[in-house]
Amino acid sequence: MNARAAIASPATRNVAIPERRGLWAALGHEWRVASLTVKLSALLLLLFYLFAAASPIIAPYDPAHQWRELPDCPPMRLHLAPRADWNQGYLCAWPMRLDVPLARHYAEDHSRRTFVRLFDRGHLFTTAPGDPPFFLMGSEGLGRDLFSRIVYGARVSMCIGLVGVAISFSLGIMVGAFSGLMGGMTDSAIMRLCEVEMSLPSFYFLLALAAVIPSGLSTTATFFLIVGIMAFISWAGFARVIRGMAASVRSAPYVEAARALGGSRARLLFRHVIPSVIGFAAVNASLSIPGYILGESALSLLGLGIQEPAASWGNLLSQAMDPQTVAYYPWVLAPGLFISAAVMAFNFLGDHLRDRFDPSNSG
Amino acid sequence: MRGRRFAFGAAAALIAAAIAGCRVNRPPNDHAATQTLYSATVSDPGTFNPILVTDSASGDAIGDLFESLVRVNPRTTLFEPGLAESWAFSDGDKTLTFHLRRGVKWSDGAPFTARDALFTMRVIYDPKIPNSSVSAMLIDGKPILASAPDDYTVVVRLPRPFAPILSSLQFSILPAHALATAYAAGRFNHTWGIDTPPDRLTALGPFLMTRYVPAQLLAYRRNPDFWMRDEHNGRLPRLKGEVRLIVPDQNAQYLQFQSGMTDVYRPRPEEVWPLEQAESKLNITVRKVGIDTGSLFFAFNRNPRHYVRQGATDPRYKWFTDVNFMRALAHAVDKRGMIDLCYRGLAVPAVSDVSPENKIYHNPNLKDYEYDLKLAARLLDEAGYRMIRPGVRGDPDGHPLVFNLTTNAGVPVRDQMCAIFKQDLQSLGITVNYRPLDFITLVKALESSFDWDCVLIGFTGGIEPNDASDFLRSSGNLHIWDPAEPKPATAWEAQIDRLMEAGTTVMDPYQRAPYYWQIQQILHDQLPIIETVRQVTYIAYRNTLENYEPTVWGFYHPEWIEFRAE
Repeated sequence: MNARAAIASPATRNVAIPERRGLWAALGHEWRVASLTVKLSALLLLLFYLFAAASPIIAPYDPAHQWRELPDCPPMRLHLAPRADWNQGYLCAWPMRLDVPLARHYAEDHSRRTFVRLFDRGHLFTTAPGDPPFFLMGSEGLGRDLFSRIVYGARVSMCIGLVGVAISFSLGIMVGAFSGLMGGMTDSAIMRLCEVEMSLPSFYFLLALAAVIPSGLSTTATFFLIVGIMAFISWAGFARVIRGMAASVRSAPYVEAARALGGSRARLLFRHVIPSVIGFAAVNASLSIPGYILGESALSLLGLGIQEPAASWGNLLSQAMDPQTVAYYPWVLAPGLFISAAVMAFNFLGDHLRDRFDPSNSG
Repeated sequence: MRGRRFAFGAAAALIAAAIAGCRVNRPPNDHAATQTLYSATVSDPGTFNPILVTDSASGDAIGDLFESLVRVNPRTTLFEPGLAESWAFSDGDKTLTFHLRRGVKWSDGAPFTARDALFTMRVIYDPKIPNSSVSAMLIDGKPILASAPDDYTVVVRLPRPFAPILSSLQFSILPAHALATAYAAGRFNHTWGIDTPPDRLTALGPFLMTRYVPAQLLAYRRNPDFWMRDEHNGRLPRLKGEVRLIVPDQNAQYLQFQSGMTDVYRPRPEEVWPLEQAESKLNITVRKVGIDTGSLFFAFNRNPRHYVRQGATDPRYKWFTDVNFMRALAHAVDKRGMIDLCYRGLAVPAVSDVSPENKIYHNPNLKDYEYDLKLAARLLDEAGYRMIRPGVRGDPDGHPLVFNLTTNAGVPVRDQMCAIFKQDLQSLGITVNYRPLDFITLVKALESSFDWDCVLIGFTGGIEPNDASDFLRSSGNLHIWDPAEPKPATAWEAQIDRLMEAGTTVMDPYQRAPYYWQIQQILHDQLPIIETVRQVTYIAYRNTLENYEPTVWGFYHPEWIEFRAE
């Protein structure tokens, strides 16, 4: 009787969580204690996810549309339109004209203006259908708008981490916690299996798996296959860490007590073991998202990731593999900036979360 | 403070010394002084045995070491004397007599005789020796009989008049005295591998190999006994040596040329303009060589083995064998766009499978399918391929038009061409799933599993039109849209077979041409393949080089190349 009371008592709960608050109040509190870097990171990630969620609105053009007369066009400058033309929009740019086709030299055509219309035809900004396009970040080799492709690419690059982490961590937590709780032969068997999986040379394995993706799959299916492959490679290491934590919790008094009181295995797992490791898992998850983003860009760079004409930041950046291209058209590096910004933001955020919530790292 | 400043001073001195050291140690650009031509090549050779060569890297590595009976003049694309001084046809074009050059010596001093030519032919016809020359030397499946009445005469007897015979006999002659023992012992397939010391290669060409360092370089020196003389009876070749650096990365090759390490470079389209700008600074000439001799096309699988599964025929088989469908697709290939986007304008639309550089056999009368998406849409509508829902076109039975497109991975130009084709077909309501495959997988799909729908692929081209018989004849293994047909699947394929046959029986090139023009016309009308574009190739070389006359068929008078005396 006494033991049951002790388990139920709030006094034994994790002391790091002060009191129950509403979600928004808790978020507000977290926002106030966060440093400027963390705040900026969070805002940046929010912006990127907004790109992903609202790409048809934010992107000015269809990401696959080819302006074949404007390949490798540099970014265009934006001007305030003369007052007389304000009925057409407040912002305008000079259209670009291919001056020397062999050299891909462009000149601004000062005889005309392209008016950039805000909130027009369901886009945040775009130009009228017949008008020359406005390239905020330039165009790539086939004359497609780089900015629109980056915005659509955010769908792949920003989501690959979330989906991948969701897969590998749910697998890792379940297997790790179960293995740690069971102990004995089961534990050994599962852990040896994990070790075998971890000893596979992961990048070659990734290449091999990506190479056998059949042609004719839709982009979405390819996306999920690639995520699945990357998640499959990374869950084992995580499962081992969780298993260690679970094994140490297994002999903790409250678990012993729960077992003594006849708690089922599932109840032990879900009520006692997993909650004790979930904080660590959440922190680790946010720190491993960048790995997925970089992994996808590596695969795409090798031509095994998301296939043309679908865009991801990785396959957009693959154009920048050629030093010549970078020298003459430096704007092809823009997707790389987005990748590094996203990776950095996730790292800052993850570090902050670890400082806040992972008790093992509080020292 | 003082210590730190001293350290800084010391570091600066070290750096200065290092820079000075670099300047002193840099090899001087003395290619002209030593008359040694430096160039770069992409990969290592696989063998030094001229009969066993299958890859272009090996062919290039030993190309200057060996000679054949006849040579091709790259300007006229006609035959010229090589090791044979002259030749004559007799007996109704069924006998060919070669009179060999006297006084030609192998690099070990032995004389070149008719025995060498006969030995080489015996090796080529040996079924135990895999080689690529033999297929061209079988006439209706029968070998050519050769005999040598004396040391300097070779008589070739043909079962019937065979026009491509001179082209077929362009194999490199082997030294019988050096290789006969190995051949008799059954070791021919293992002789002259790349582990052979270069001075053991008995050669008679303009150059002899002196050094091969794997993954680094191939070095040559001139053959002092080479038979050719210039107009003043001067010794040829004029260059004293050649070095070919093995540099797999094209960007590195480009930088090496700019820095003066190599003397010649074949620029990619995007490099032509920067090099032209730097002509006077680098003291180089950038020259147009000509139009690519190969052919780059979209092929569509018409192989029933791919489509008939469990008694049911995949609808794609009907589309690709429907000439109206194919004509609509031909009008949807934006060749101008491909030229501007993929080749910077340095390409020309391809109409026929024979390059215009093949002056005699190229059919100049073909009319290209104009790029016109509206016309393509109308043609599709008229042929019964109508829009079944927005953005999706269906065939007359209502199947949506979807097919797979592939090419070999890692070639950005092909990726772009496929992206352009895909985008245009998308606007017609045809969905194309594009996925490049690595080369080995692609070849397997094309040659054995036949599991492909549409492929963008290139073939190299030669002067002799009969060399394409494996591709053009319905029974050929490279008959890409339906390899090795037991009998011609269509009337026009049977017609091509007949024309290929007839084209070999007339000896005069200009009289042969109409047969091959007609074949090009049939391919153009029936569209088993849709031609795309041909690159215009350029070459850049140092201004100190003289008599440097590259053509798409090779160098004109390469033995005359030399560095101008400073």
